[in-house]
Amino acid sequence: MRTFKPANSMKASFLRLLPLLLFPLLPASASSDFAQRHEAYLDRAHLLLQEVVDRVDPTDPEKGGRGQILASLVLETHLDWASERLLRDLEEPRGDMFWMIPMTSIAYHGRDKLSDEAMAALRNAWKTYMPQRGDTENHWAMYYTTLYLMSQFWPDLPASEWYTGKSSAENLEEAREYLIYWMNLTTSIGQGEYDCTHYIGEYLMPMFQLAAWAEDPEMRIRGKMMIDYLLADFAIDSLDGLYVGAHARSDDKAVLEPHHVLSTMFAWLFFDNTPRSRTSWSLYVAANASYYQVPEVLYRIATDRDGPYLSRELKRTRWRWRHADEITSRVYKTTYVHPDYAVGSDQGGLLQPIQQHSWDLTWAVDDPRGVHNTIFSLNPHYSDLEMQMYFTEFAHFMPEAVTRQGKPTYTSPETFLGGSPYEQIFQHENVLIALYAIPEGATHEHVNGFFSKDLKRFEEHPSGWIFAQGGNTYIAYHPLAPYEWKPLEDGGKRLYSPHRTNGTLLQPASASDFASWEAFKEAVTALPLEVSTSGNPEVRFTTLAGDVLHFAYGDVPLVNGSPVGYASWPLFESPYLKAAENSRKLTLRHGQLERTLDFENLEITDRIHERPR
Amino acid sequence: MSASLKPTGLPLQLAEPAPPRRWLPPVLMALISFLPLSALAEHSLYMSATLSQDFTIGRKVTSDSGLYVSHDRETARHLGFHHPRLDKGDFDPRDPDVLYIGALNGVLGTRDGGQSWEILTSWNMTEGKDVKVDPHQPDRVFAALPDGIALSPDQGRTWQYSDNGIRRKYTQTLAPDRHRRDHLLAGTELGIFRTTDGGLVWTEVLTTTATVNHIVQSPHDPDLFLAATQENGAWLSPDAGLTWTQVHPHEMGNSFHTASFHPHKADVLTLAGWGYGLRLSTDLGQTWNQPGGLPHDNIWSHAMDPDYPDRLYASLYRDTVYVSDDFGVTWEPFIFPGATIWGYIFVPRN
Repeated sequence: MRTFKPANSMKASFLRLLPLLLFPLLPASASSDFAQRHEAYLDRAHLLLQEVVDRVDPTDPEKGGRGQILASLVLETHLDWASERLLRDLEEPRGDMFWMIPMTSIAYHGRDKLSDEAMAALRNAWKTYMPQRGDTENHWAMYYTTLYLMSQFWPDLPASEWYTGKSSAENLEEAREYLIYWMNLTTSIGQGEYDCTHYIGEYLMPMFQLAAWAEDPEMRIRGKMMIDYLLADFAIDSLDGLYVGAHARSDDKAVLEPHHVLSTMFAWLFFDNTPRSRTSWSLYVAANASYYQVPEVLYRIATDRDGPYLSRELKRTRWRWRHADEITSRVYKTTYVHPDYAVGSDQGGLLQPIQQHSWDLTWAVDDPRGVHNTIFSLNPHYSDLEMQMYFTEFAHFMPEAVTRQGKPTYTSPETFLGGSPYEQIFQHENVLIALYAIPEGATHEHVNGFFSKDLKRFEEHPSGWIFAQGGNTYIAYHPLAPYEWKPLEDGGKRLYSPHRTNGTLLQPASASDFASWEAFKEAVTALPLEVSTSGNPEVRFTTLAGDVLHFAYGDVPLVNGSPVGYASWPLFESPYLKAAENSRKLTLRHGQLERTLDFENLEITDRIHERPR
Repeated sequence: MSASLKPTGLPLQLAEPAPPRRWLPPVLMALISFLPLSALAEHSLYMSATLSQDFTIGRKVTSDSGLYVSHDRETARHLGFHHPRLDKGDFDPRDPDVLYIGALNGVLGTRDGGQSWEILTSWNMTEGKDVKVDPHQPDRVFAALPDGIALSPDQGRTWQYSDNGIRRKYTQTLAPDRHRRDHLLAGTELGIFRTTDGGLVWTEVLTTTATVNHIVQSPHDPDLFLAATQENGAWLSPDAGLTWTQVHPHEMGNSFHTASFHPHKADVLTLAGWGYGLRLSTDLGQTWNQPGGLPHDNIWSHAMDPDYPDRLYASLYRDTVYVSDDFGVTWEPFIFPGATIWGYIFVPRN
């Protein structure tokens, strides 16, 4: 795409890595804990690989996935089978960058273990099969990382030996240019596919490969720094390992069951703070686990919070090819994390196609497996406009076609997934207001609210508030327009409100902060609240914390009379992460520990402060 | 011209796929040499085809998509790589072995008739929608991209954006003027733009509310251009793109995808698209009719074959490519069940 230039240019870079040398400055127990945790992390990675290997039938080269080939190579078992199986797999290469990722790992892990015939077949495949580069940020991260590494693997080949028609050196340079561009962009104005519950894996996989195998020390350290960056971005928006709040991309099941996502698998692998979840592509990270150590400061941010905190983050939309004057726009994220719950959001609107999840409240549970510990609302929406904004296709076939391409609910009026151009969201601390001004003729003219089967309490109050309890969290949910209930197949119910001027006001609190359920309800119903739905929706609300919020659809929200400062929104701002827009520098801080990732100078700097923050 | 040829009545047969990078192996060449000369059309027909329905990146596919070539309209052979998303392209008039195709991976090119291929563009140019060779200076190649128009001065070896004057950059189609040096038209998200200086500056000549999907120049009158749009109907320009007159109104919910002039009849125009089906005019767009005979009205693309009088091809959505040899009165299945044809290139045979 046309190059989008962040504000700062890349300076000449050099390496100055001080990874773990500072740990002797910490108490011996901390250093010991760190070492033990690292061993446990490697054990978990080994477990993933072993489970895959255990399913191999070494007598049958006709069966077995690429993950099994890779795991066999890493654990150095069934090596003859691995070569034979690879030969058969390569008879018909398919899968684009999802082929390139496994083949790159197989090449590097198998370089001294695969048969000459298998390696020759692998080489031939990179000449005769043209993988697609794809059309998303994760596609490109995988495509160019693997093209980079395989061009390095076969460094001196002419153009005729590559599907690209370019030499090894030309491939390497093109891939390097893109990867640096992407890293600069991400660390300047935010990721485009931000906070994805599943696609986080599609970034971690290539970055683990880069960190493991790039011969250029600059690219290798870039890979390690991006792993830190991606995991920090995840950790700050997590509650006991669950990815909370707004996601650029999620899926139908994940938005209802926050544990049932790939990111939870990574929380288990790196932080061990939640039960295992979908294995999926985590294997390709596990295979390279030994090339990475979870920084202590990152581990603590993920697992040890002093109390509630607010995180603000800047992200960007996916490339907008049409229906926009700018190729990308800013995404303002807010996440409030309390030990008992988290509320997170973006500003609403069509920020991503199809799989956007704009806001939710997630409550903590002891065992999240199978639990629908979340609540949120949305205006279900699909349109040719959305499709043509983000895709380069003809107009009319796409919405229906999308439902046949792994996104079956895209056009459904019952969907709980996707953004809407008619939704605007404002979050202040733990209070959230979502407003809907849906024009007549929109694909769906109603609002859906998700009410879980796992709510402990549920009560419709005469005041118009719906009170509920999930875990140790009291939830006050105020629909702005009349509604009815629709049962859900997997339990729980759908709030269905067929009114085009609409909204949701959410005020949660920890049950620990109130003497009783009744006390919470009394406190909330006593709060000043003015709602207008005569024109565009508008809410004036005084929160439990005493802040006066005023949010009218189409206007900048006000907090105690002052407008929210979107213009100065930070790239990261929280007690644990700080980064200014265009700084290319992220600081992680927990207690005495601090790590700075400086992408401008390619430096990782670790510090131990005398006192905790 | 092979005007005496009639359709066989049988669907066109796919030849066994050739190994990649071995286009037209000696066996096929030998086979072709035994065919009567009349069986070979004057033009080779290249088609950008997606054969796998509902293609999703990363998904396993079972049949090769990409570029197919037919020299005789009875067999078609897959050429080069499996590529599930090729779009429109062009050839070098000095050397028909030099082809350029817009593709998901950028702009693809071959300089040896498809024996070897190269991704000509780098990471910063993607999803090529159309590629056109400058007929006056064939080293110059233009590419329509989602974020603008790129120009290569050296047969695709280097590229630069060349779209000053276009605010919304999305570009779907390009139409170089074969009669006037440095004159081109571009169909963009919000209108038709014209350059008279080889792409340095573009000026809006028609405003639309959505994408202009196809622009073609009449083979009979170089001043005449026909444009098909997503939601503004079809337009005809009598003065090389300077002014435009709507010749077919927009119908709500429908979208024109492709336009063409009849290769041999100066007053005959054809349009096709989603919901419209096929629309034919024999009086330069003053009146239109819609022939029957096709299973439905969602047509992806269409083309007229210069080597066969009144022959039309129509690629139907989630269906097959149909052929008519009587200008749309009757239709027969032709090739590629369930396929999508994104572009047709008729390349003169040496």
